[in-house]
Amino acid sequence: MFGFVRLAVVGFLVLSVVYFIVRVYLRSVHREELEKDWEQAGRPGERHDYVEKGLREYEGSLQRKLILLVYVVPAILVLALIYVTNFM
Amino acid sequence: MRYVKWTFRILLVILVLAFLHYNLPQHDVVRITSTEVIRMDFTRFNRFFFAQADQGTTENPTRDIRLINAVRPNGRVIVYRNEDTGVFGWPPYFKVDSSNLQAEAADLISTRDNPQWTVVTHYGWRNEFLTIFPNAIAIRPVDSPDVRIIPWVNIVILTVLALVLFMIRRMWLQFRERTIDPALENVSDAWDRVDQHADAAGQQARGVWARFRAWLNTWRGKPRR
Repeated sequence: MFGFVRLAVVGFLVLSVVYFIVRVYLRSVHREELEKDWEQAGRPGERHDYVEKGLREYEGSLQRKLILLVYVVPAILVLALIYVTNFM
Repeated sequence: MRYVKWTFRILLVILVLAFLHYNLPQHDVVRITSTEVIRMDFTRFNRFFFAQADQGTTENPTRDIRLINAVRPNGRVIVYRNEDTGVFGWPPYFKVDSSNLQAEAADLISTRDNPQWTVVTHYGWRNEFLTIFPNAIAIRPVDSPDVRIIPWVNIVILTVLALVLFMIRRMWLQFRERTIDPALENVSDAWDRVDQHADAAGQQARGVWARFRAWLNTWRGKPRR
């Protein structure tokens, strides 16, 4: 049983690092896209306002919430692996 | 220097390949001849190649190891160990059913005259000098030794690994483009500004100095005609 606790704690810490990095990366990619959009749309208004508004929309989006899969997928994978290796 | 660099790179590649070869699952077609338990007294040289005591039991410097003896179709023998990798152990096979696997292996024991061929999934290496054995993960009976095995798990793992490496590279490039380069630009801009400032000051100083000298010169005697 102790193995599970250790796996859960270490797994959570490692996946949190991954989650954080993926979040920062996707936000950065999104910001870059918004900046390009602003150029293409013929520079409507302030660039800063345009980008910030887009990022606020992104923050509430489904795509952003899907980053939580970083936690869900490995957990399911581990459970599946335990089943397949031992009980199939 | 070039040789050092290449030696280092080649060593790194060999290390990565050896790591993958040790840890990824492989499939052997074998005939199981017997199962047994031996006591292992580990040394610091071969301890590294064994897992830990069974899940839920305690670790001692010496313990019994389950072995599965088998023969390949070409007549050469191979011995597998049968150990739990545990839920928090390396490699992450999450194997906790060693005793059951031993029972399955015992069930599939067959003779040379009436062979029952099996596919043993395992990882690890057999080395006689270190007394290390590959760890059996699963056993399934097959009809003939000429069975076609597609290593799906390896295909998936290596693909995912390549994808992860690709994404890490993408992330690093994005980080460099969006965070490091602008910061460096700021620094170089700052340097440029300092430079301009120094130049301007120099110009001015030259101007002041030149004017002073010119003023001093006014006190000099004029060259006589």
